[in-house]
Amino acid sequence: MFDMIGNVFKNLTSKPATRKYPFEKRPSYKSTRGRVGGVGIDDCIFCGICSKRCPSDAINVNKLEKSWEIDPFKCVVCGVCAEVCPKKCIYMEEEYTASAYNKGKLKYTQQPKPDVKVSQEVVQK
Amino acid sequence: MIENVIEISVDQLLIEVQNAMYDEYRFVTCTCVDTADGKLDIYYHFDKKLVLKNLKISVKKGDEVPSVSKIYFSALLVENEMKELFGLNVTNILIDYGGHMLLSDDELTSPMLKQQIVIVQKGEE
Amino acid sequence: MSKTVIPFGPQHPVLPEPIHLKLVMQDEKVLEAIPAIGYVHRGLEKLTETKEYTENVFIVERICGICSFMHAQAYCQGLESLMGVQIPDRAKYLRVIWGELHRIHSHLLWLGLLADSFGFESLFMQLWRNREKVMDIMEETAGSRIIISTNQVGGTRRDISKELLIKITIIVDEIKEDMRQVEKVFLKDYTVKHRLVGIGVLTSEKAYSLGAVGPMARASGIKMDLRMTGYAAYGELDFEPVVEKDGDCYARTSVRLKEVYQSVALIKQAIAKMPAGEISVPVKGNPTGEIISRVEQPRGEVLYYMKGNGTKKLDRLRIRTPTFANIPTLLQMLPGSQLADVPVLILTIDPCISCTER
Repeated sequence: MFDMIGNVFKNLTSKPATRKYPFEKRPSYKSTRGRVGGVGIDDCIFCGICSKRCPSDAINVNKLEKSWEIDPFKCVVCGVCAEVCPKKCIYMEEEYTASAYNKGKLKYTQQPKPDVKVSQEVVQK
Repeated sequence: MIENVIEISVDQLLIEVQNAMYDEYRFVTCTCVDTADGKLDIYYHFDKKLVLKNLKISVKKGDEVPSVSKIYFSALLVENEMKELFGLNVTNILIDYGGHMLLSDDELTSPMLKQQIVIVQKGEE
Repeated sequence: MSKTVIPFGPQHPVLPEPIHLKLVMQDEKVLEAIPAIGYVHRGLEKLTETKEYTENVFIVERICGICSFMHAQAYCQGLESLMGVQIPDRAKYLRVIWGELHRIHSHLLWLGLLADSFGFESLFMQLWRNREKVMDIMEETAGSRIIISTNQVGGTRRDISKELLIKITIIVDEIKEDMRQVEKVFLKDYTVKHRLVGIGVLTSEKAYSLGAVGPMARASGIKMDLRMTGYAAYGELDFEPVVEKDGDCYARTSVRLKEVYQSVALIKQAIAKMPAGEISVPVKGNPTGEIISRVEQPRGEVLYYMKGNGTKKLDRLRIRTPTFANIPTLLQMLPGSQLADVPVLILTIDPCISCTER
């Protein structure tokens, strides 16, 4: 009848099993999928494969405007976009998307590169 | 490509199910498929010692199908579900929810059909 | 004597998910029980008709939060056998390891809820503390704690390295040592036995004719376990299904407790025998035809019917979950029982209502 007594004494004398969150956060592991962190926009070639393979249609790629957009509140954090990207420029982060008042989207636009031809002519002269 | 499929007509249904009960088959479930040519295919799955046996009937929308819940008590849940999601006309179920087991009271269409049937009560068609 | 109707409402401290029962009572005895479900119906079978067959894995995983890996496994196994794809051996063993980890986590959750339902809170906390260790392993190997998304048509998406396999063996042994003490409380304690022995007896013939599956059937003496058909790597592993004879709540608790030990032994066997090699093969083409695939979930047998018509989208996906088959047994067990036993009875079928209603 007294089988739990040993357990009760162990619980009284050892430190608690719970953690005082939010003052103490648990370190997460290396491959934890928290959210899609973003894209290295300078390497992106706007092929659109990530947008076709996304199961919840959260990614929008616009080739004319050179922009890449994700809706973090539709994303289910499956990681397929990071796997199929041919340039490997999408990366996942450990921290999860926090709750917010407005459901905004993240948009990245590629800036136009400076013209290389002009500087070559300057050097030749 | 399913093994052991036996095609029967609606009149033989009750006799075949009664034979399955005498042969000590366990009732697994029913599946309803909406085919492209306006008919509904209904499969009845039975199992004995981990080997499946399937009966298949094919009816037009609106035809009457007798209920097997007097032979197998556990069939009543799945027949209620087929009645409200596909609009299949199953008669004499032991406990009949009248089309509102899963769907709410103001829902009047059969959601799983490829083309919706709207019930006349709404004054359309 | 007049009868009263008491609603066992959708919100109740003992239920993990909402289900409504109208109990027709006379004094303290239940005469009839009329169920009303439909609180969690999300129409997922219709949603799978609008997405491609590779994306459906993510929908199917999210039907239930406790048995999610086995849903994806049944879907992928069915499609692989329909399209004639042979997956590599290492993927089969990886699926066994993750599947048995899910089974341990589900049974520990249920045992904790059962202890909570008759008021034994410290046992509940002890069991859920062990469950945290299992979820930490899943986060380290696959990326998230419960819905792990590691299945794909053609194999698995991730691999487990050698150091992690050794770590899994150590943690799983710790869980087994802790369960030895918990077993003494569940199976031999005087007050716990008083609440469980002789309640809700289901004889073997009645369980078979009502279509009970999983631990409900095995606790009534029916030897039925789908892992004996040998899907994934179970054909090469060595185990016996756990069967008890009495058919009451005590027998069902005992079956689920002993299955935790069985899962620990299966994981250790699979880690020892795991071959090296690839984890997935590329899949080309579209599915045509019909197939049925069945898998043993922690609660019983799940049946998947898939029909493809040559395009990327499936024509029909039909899922029959084990709680759907166990609810009629509840309707036959409740009449004749006392009101104070109703929460324990509802918990012994292991209700997973979001699986039932999809």
